Amino acid sequence: MTHRAHRSPMVGMGVLFGATLVGLLVLPFAALAVSTPLTDLRAGAGHPLFAPALWLSLRTTLTSLSITVVLGTPLAWWLASSRSRTARVTEVLIDLPIVIPPAVVGVALLETFGRRGLVGPLLEAVGITVPFTGGAVVVAQVVVSSPFFVQAAANAFRKVEPDMLIVARTLGASPTAAFARVALPIALPGLLVGASLAWARALGEFGATLLFAGNMPGRTQTMPLAIFSALEADVRLAIVFSLVLAAVGVVLLVAIRFVPVLRQFQGRDAL
Amino acid sequence: MRMAAAASLLLLLTAGCSGTREENERMTLSVFAASSLTDVMPDLVEVFQGAHPDVDVAVTFAGSQVLRFQIEQGASADVFASANEAHMRALEDAGHVIRSRALAATDLVVVVPLANGAAIERFDQLAQATRIVVGTPFVPIGAYADTVLSKASAVLGEDFAADVRDRIASMESNVRLVRAKVELGEADAALVYRTDAMNSDRVGLVPIPDAFNVQAQFWVGVTMSSPRGDEAGRFLDFLSSPPAREIFRAHGFRSAGS
Repeated sequence: MTHRAHRSPMVGMGVLFGATLVGLLVLPFAALAVSTPLTDLRAGAGHPLFAPALWLSLRTTLTSLSITVVLGTPLAWWLASSRSRTARVTEVLIDLPIVIPPAVVGVALLETFGRRGLVGPLLEAVGITVPFTGGAVVVAQVVVSSPFFVQAAANAFRKVEPDMLIVARTLGASPTAAFARVALPIALPGLLVGASLAWARALGEFGATLLFAGNMPGRTQTMPLAIFSALEADVRLAIVFSLVLAAVGVVLLVAIRFVPVLRQFQGRDAL
Repeated sequence: MRMAAAASLLLLLTAGCSGTREENERMTLSVFAASSLTDVMPDLVEVFQGAHPDVDVAVTFAGSQVLRFQIEQGASADVFASANEAHMRALEDAGHVIRSRALAATDLVVVVPLANGAAIERFDQLAQATRIVVGTPFVPIGAYADTVLSKASAVLGEDFAADVRDRIASMESNVRLVRAKVELGEADAALVYRTDAMNSDRVGLVPIPDAFNVQAQFWVGVTMSSPRGDEAGRFLDFLSSPPAREIFRAHGFRSAGS
């Protein structure tokens, strides 16, 4: 009894702290929703900037997410399984885009792929132009979002016991099969969390895109850039755009964590 | 040089976020000024402060439409200097600004990188550019550029204007961001104010024929909510005074209405 009595103020404090943070995170979006009449919503969705920006955002973020997962999964596996100093240094290096302001990332990308950049002239010589294209939007998103995936994926892979892979190998599985049939299913929940974090970061990406890809409706103007542009003309329009982006974000974040096919897949392997 | 351009690009991007500071002993006048006044305003402020040692002037630079939005949202500005009449008029009509007056004027030019890879020597060669950068339709420089292209299409043909519009790679939110894309060599051409072109040693200048050009007028006014209306009024009077006009002229501006 004394034990419970001793604990309850602590629990109360914890609840208070947690609720404060939840309120701080959720309240602004509730305010956004409450302040928008339905007629504004309809008018916003019919605005000529809206559909192209939403479509571009979905297309580019799904492309950048695919690239992040394909390139990031092997890297995360290596980071998780290697004990080398190179792996530790790499781990720190790939976190750079998280701590550096996105606008700086944008300038750095221009200094890399721009006309006077490090590799820009080489690419231009073979006919590839990156800045101010849809490709630039994707590159900016990959750079700012992939660290989130790689970190989460590496942590997920660290939960895979090396012994299990050895057992799989002794039972005749090839290294690829052992990875796909043993390591991947165990790490899958962590990979999904990483993918959803990276995807969300890409969807909200603004600063690097603005500098590296420019702001061109229909070509490089993603939802965050359209919101920025709308803000300069009509704040209500910007609020509507923001609401839709938030709603799309919620739907896709929920979907990516509860894809039925993936749950079945996890369930089967748990048996 | 490129580093400096990159750094100024960053500064410009964050310019809209800076606040105003409060001091007890000295009065601080908060001036929201169009990006195109970035070079001339500090010179004006220096002379004004020399004559009014009790007043500090803190200037925030951004696109006029951004500053207008911030004033509409209750930002604590005392003076607003707009790059066109429309944003000033809108604020005045809504009761946010009083005592507005025309200040100085300039016109538009095309700027190209010093290397001028697209070999643009005349305005009618603008479509030779692979990448053109302008302002958004909301920032004055973007609206003026649109007017120039519309006027040009009447003389040089609709194909010319359509060709140029096709090559617009980005619409920036203030004139310094537009110019920065050319300074970085990323854009082949951009439409900016003559005064912005003159204040950079990293761009070449291609004039726009008078027939297509526009007079860009800068307007200044006092915000309704300013608790420092008297000092703001004194600053406005100073901006219209002969010494201030001399400073404007030194930066390439013309007097308003000429």
